[in-house]
Amino acid sequence: MSNDTPQSPKARSWRDIPQEIAPRRMSSVGRRRLNMGFVRTAAMVVTVGAMGWGGFEIWQTLQQDPQRLTAGNESRPVETINLQSNGVLDDAWLQETLALAPQTGLMELDLYALRTRLTASGQVRTAVLVREFPATLNVTLEERSPVVRMNAKLDGPDTRTFLVAQDGTVYHGEGYGPQLVRSLPWLGGVRLSREGSGFVPIEGIAQLADLLATARGAMPDRFATWRVVSLERLSADGQILVQSAQVPEIIFGVREDFYSQIARLDLILEETSRRTTVPLHSIDLSVGASQVPVAFNQIAPSFP
Amino acid sequence: MRSKARFIGAVEIGTSKVAVLIGEMVRDGSVNLIGFGECQSHGVIKGLVTDFKAASDATHSALLAAEQSASVKIDEVYLAQTGGHLDGFYNQASVSVSAADNKVSQVDIETACRLAKSKALPEGRTVVHHIRRPFQLDGKMVGPNPDHLHGERLDVGYWTVHGLESAIANSLHVVRGFNVLVGDIILSSLASGTMMTTPQDRQHGALVIDIGAGTTDYVFYQDGSPHLTGIVPVGGGHLTNDLTLGLRVTEGQAEKLKIRHGRALVHTREKSDKVWLNGDFAIGDRQFPRQAIELITEARVRELFEVVKKKLGPDFGPEACAAGVFLTGGTAKLPAIADAATKVFGIPAQLGELPPGMDEKLNRPQHATVLGLLHFGLQNRGGANEEAGRRRPRGFIHKLFAGS
Repeated sequence: MSNDTPQSPKARSWRDIPQEIAPRRMSSVGRRRLNMGFVRTAAMVVTVGAMGWGGFEIWQTLQQDPQRLTAGNESRPVETINLQSNGVLDDAWLQETLALAPQTGLMELDLYALRTRLTASGQVRTAVLVREFPATLNVTLEERSPVVRMNAKLDGPDTRTFLVAQDGTVYHGEGYGPQLVRSLPWLGGVRLSREGSGFVPIEGIAQLADLLATARGAMPDRFATWRVVSLERLSADGQILVQSAQVPEIIFGVREDFYSQIARLDLILEETSRRTTVPLHSIDLSVGASQVPVAFNQIAPSFP
Repeated sequence: MRSKARFIGAVEIGTSKVAVLIGEMVRDGSVNLIGFGECQSHGVIKGLVTDFKAASDATHSALLAAEQSASVKIDEVYLAQTGGHLDGFYNQASVSVSAADNKVSQVDIETACRLAKSKALPEGRTVVHHIRRPFQLDGKMVGPNPDHLHGERLDVGYWTVHGLESAIANSLHVVRGFNVLVGDIILSSLASGTMMTTPQDRQHGALVIDIGAGTTDYVFYQDGSPHLTGIVPVGGGHLTNDLTLGLRVTEGQAEKLKIRHGRALVHTREKSDKVWLNGDFAIGDRQFPRQAIELITEARVRELFEVVKKKLGPDFGPEACAAGVFLTGGTAKLPAIADAATKVFGIPAQLGELPPGMDEKLNRPQHATVLGLLHFGLQNRGGANEEAGRRRPRGFIHKLFAGS
């Protein structure tokens, strides 16, 4: 047989039999599968269409008004500000400090800037601001507690009373009751340095706070007569000076625990008041437990 | 992971049962068997669909059971084909090697193959398989690809299996009613033969006989490839029928007697040896001579093997079938059937065994076809798809609906 033989017709194969069949000839299972196919196709068409439409909308917005994509002016204005604090600051202070313009949208808020504004006062150690949709701003504050008070000039010629926290931060206390402020001893013997709109934190306040807390707990009546505490000799001699209503100068040493020194002070004050009426001039508790230099005055001390 | 896999269903619509096996074809070409469904067949006689609705219901139940056991949707089906309407013939073509230096070219090979496959079929018949026999170059057998070999004349022959278009269309539409495409139609004997024999067996020559309930399919391998195939419209159901007539019992009782006491060779010598029909001593229970049952089954089995031997013709002989006869299918469970085959064919016969490691549920001779469908179908996937790709729509939308 030669290669020039004309091509013979190909025998009919089973693959030439059409497989398509009308849905009505299908079984119920087959029809269900077919319908599921239609549903799946429709779902795909809708999904693809939606994605295409969304993409077109974004593209169109980018072309015409890109600001719309980033602006939050579509969000609802802030209606509620919830404050949660471990201190004395209240909603009024918060409103005043945040100073949000009316009708400010929740999404427009610059939470970092607001947090900076809150912590700038010094009284706030940490501030957490959380958006709660649709129109609520939740603010959680952790406040500093005052240890002592002091007078200083910040802006202008007038002297103002500032509070000093345990970490040495000097701040203008807000919301504290007058009784609480009056119960704080005055701080002396420190030099304040300016830093920005406030002062550089004072060193040594942590030790002072320890002394004051121990005294307040161990002999609250005698502590109430403490007027001035001084860190004048803290860095040089490791001493904290206290001026009380009874004794012009009580010297505490930071190298020995304060509880022992306060116990000795209480004993000395008790013994001296029982044995003599001569007023005390000074008690030096920093020397040690074996000896406590005590000086007397001939005249009663006078206090401001 | 599964999203990249393809789920192939192997479907055998038999006379007694419909079996569906689902294979997960992974990217490296291997197949994991992940689901199986089986259902009693209805509306099928001797492999032919005679009641479309009944056959559809049974097939769809099996497909659904398989899908539920695998928890996947079938993408494509390989369908087993059997039935008395299937026939085969051999056609050979020769071409003179066209090149001046007598080097065989791809064009020569394609021309020879096309001519060998081009024999026209009678009206209403359609080709199921073209099975190529080895190429011959100047009368000497060569490998599967004679390209670049030197010779003057290239011969190639095809064993063409063809069947009634209407019968094949009915099978296709039964499966299509489940809204799943038929990817390939595979002769049952080729499917089971692939599972029962090793490449070495096929190279040495082997005869595989798959005795089902309604038909007996056989394939004779020579030189590593199927040499000829055939179908005898006689199966285990005929043994039951003979017992029904011979013993005057119902079909169900005859089936029970066949399974319990039937043998392919008579073993009982005592005529007085009797067996109970039911064994429950209830009213209606009665005794039958065991020898009579064995005589009936032996006669039918011997006749069946003789018909097969006759249809194999002169190509078959002990020297051409060194690996022997392999028996499979549900009726192959009949005791002494291998001895009966040995007696008829004159060569050793054995019960075919599925490859080791098969699931216990599937490791049965009656599942050889459905297992072989997956194996054979995937082995021949490349060639089949090449042909199918030209004729079948494979677009995205088409696949979308087919897979649903």
